[in-house]
Amino acid sequence: MRGPALRRLLAGFLLMALWEVAVARGWLDPFYLPPPSRIAVTLGELFARPVFYEHLLATFTAAIAGLGLGLLIGAVLGLLAALVRPVAELLEPVMVLLNAIPRVILAPLFVIWFGIGLGSKVALAVVLVAVLVFFAVHAGVRDVDPRLVERVVTLGGGRWAVVREVYLPSVTAWVMGNLRVAVGFAFTGAVVGEFVASSRGLGYLLSFAQSTYNAAQVVALVLLVAAVVLLLFALAGALERRLLRWRHG
Amino acid sequence: MTALATVPAPMSTAPAAAATPLVRVAGLTLGYGAAPPVVEAVDLSVAAGELVSLVGPSGSGKSTILRALVGLHPPRAGTIACTLAGCEIGFLFQEDALLPWRTVRQNVALGLRLAGRSRAAAEAEAEVWLERLGLGGLGERWPRQLSGGQRKRVALAQVMALRPRLLLMDEPFAALDAILRRQITQELLDWVEGEGIAVLLVTHDLEEAIALSDRILLLGRGPRARIRGTYEVPIPRPRDLVAVHAHPAFAPLLQRLWTDLAAEVAGSGLPRAAA
Ligand SMILES: Nc1ncnc2c1ncn2[C@@H]1O[C@H](COP(=O)(O)OP(=O)(O)OP(=O)(O)O)[C@@H](O)[C@H]1O
Ligand SMILES: [Mg+2]
Repeated sequence: MRGPALRRLLAGFLLMALWEVAVARGWLDPFYLPPPSRIAVTLGELFARPVFYEHLLATFTAAIAGLGLGLLIGAVLGLLAALVRPVAELLEPVMVLLNAIPRVILAPLFVIWFGIGLGSKVALAVVLVAVLVFFAVHAGVRDVDPRLVERVVTLGGGRWAVVREVYLPSVTAWVMGNLRVAVGFAFTGAVVGEFVASSRGLGYLLSFAQSTYNAAQVVALVLLVAAVVLLLFALAGALERRLLRWRHG
Repeated sequence: MTALATVPAPMSTAPAAAATPLVRVAGLTLGYGAAPPVVEAVDLSVAAGELVSLVGPSGSGKSTILRALVGLHPPRAGTIACTLAGCEIGFLFQEDALLPWRTVRQNVALGLRLAGRSRAAAEAEAEVWLERLGLGGLGERWPRQLSGGQRKRVALAQVMALRPRLLLMDEPFAALDAILRRQITQELLDWVEGEGIAVLLVTHDLEEAIALSDRILLLGRGPRARIRGTYEVPIPRPRDLVAVHAHPAFAPLLQRLWTDLAAEVAGSGLPRAAA
């Protein structure tokens, strides 16, 4: 574990050094690709301004709210569709369509419906996450081993026992397997929503930086979003390992 | 491993109860979808403390009959009369079915929990059964981390913990190697004889059927399979799985069963009826 991690760190440093030198020597135009030092300074400036934390919080709030609501809505709809035939017939075509299109194109519609505030960002994140979770839950229910259901029934379990002992764990496994993707989707929804129309958030800062051709700030913000998502990936991964420890280790 | 045999034997209650069977099946017809019935007009009964085997060609409907007995398969016709509550019937499946997301101990405790026992009490009792089956110290493992034989033992402990009065078994140990199979089967036999538990066993193995049972039912070839013969096994209990082969009644009975089963598989004529 230590060896590869160390080598990767070293490779990263080398690349940045090369990049820095290339800009200093004039091989790269800093207008398009500012050097790492400039990006670092920009990041420092961002963190130094109190208003930046409001932007960070706005994106974070939209993404987490979208993730939570998306998980809930996707799970409820998925379970309903799996258990109630008419609901499945109603929902499945919609979900298949939503799954096929790049869902971020709904952003303008959500701005019209919910305004440029938090609502439209959450809505976009919800749609991205809920469709993913819907199919994961569906797969989880379909994947249930009928022999396990019969085992619980022949041990004296009723309907609720079957749901608790067999369906929920199976569905949880499928949802957990998709949790990291869902985290990524939630941030995509939040940032793209802000990018389209907003007055705050990292997406708003990005769109502002773009309009002023501030490449250093764009790269700094991209790195920041990446860092936040990676952090949440690690958390989601830890949660997955904890909940699915019967499968790992 | 032989700890099971040390359980005090409440055998005295068995003969008295033998008059009324624990389960009595009459005219049972079972099938899938619109296809012709798999089995037709099946009669069978198991009395308290009695060991009955159901043998027959593959695909004749033995598993389907067992599943119907516990309500997993609705009958097309016929009656299933049972004097037992659901929790008094233990079912060991053809393939093991432990919950992969529950530890070994939680799996064994599952039936007790479903019967309304508290988690702590159920798990404490599960641990006792694990010890008895030689699985002490494996309680914290996940089913995935066990060998095939260990998983079978856990499945057995899961059912034993419920202290059933009737045990339905569908070739539970068919997948095990010969040594392990004999060992687990002997443990099971000791426990069942000791506690006076009634058994209905589905098996492919005629020698196993003779060694274990008081009575053997031969199911004919499907579709529309019927019980083609009933064979009493006049070998005293308690039995030893190895020594039983030396009993004078063993070889002739095996010969008869083979002949009748072969005739049934070939589909020619009807074998002799009862013994
Ligand atoms: N779910 C099902 N749908 C339709 N047909 C089925 C189903 N399950 C079993 N069958 C058919 O019913 C018949 C009896 O099956 P069953 O599993 O009861 O046989 P069996 O005697 O237990 O066989 P084996 O000894 O091989 O386990 C077979 O012909 C099988 O093809
Ligand atoms: Mg079978």
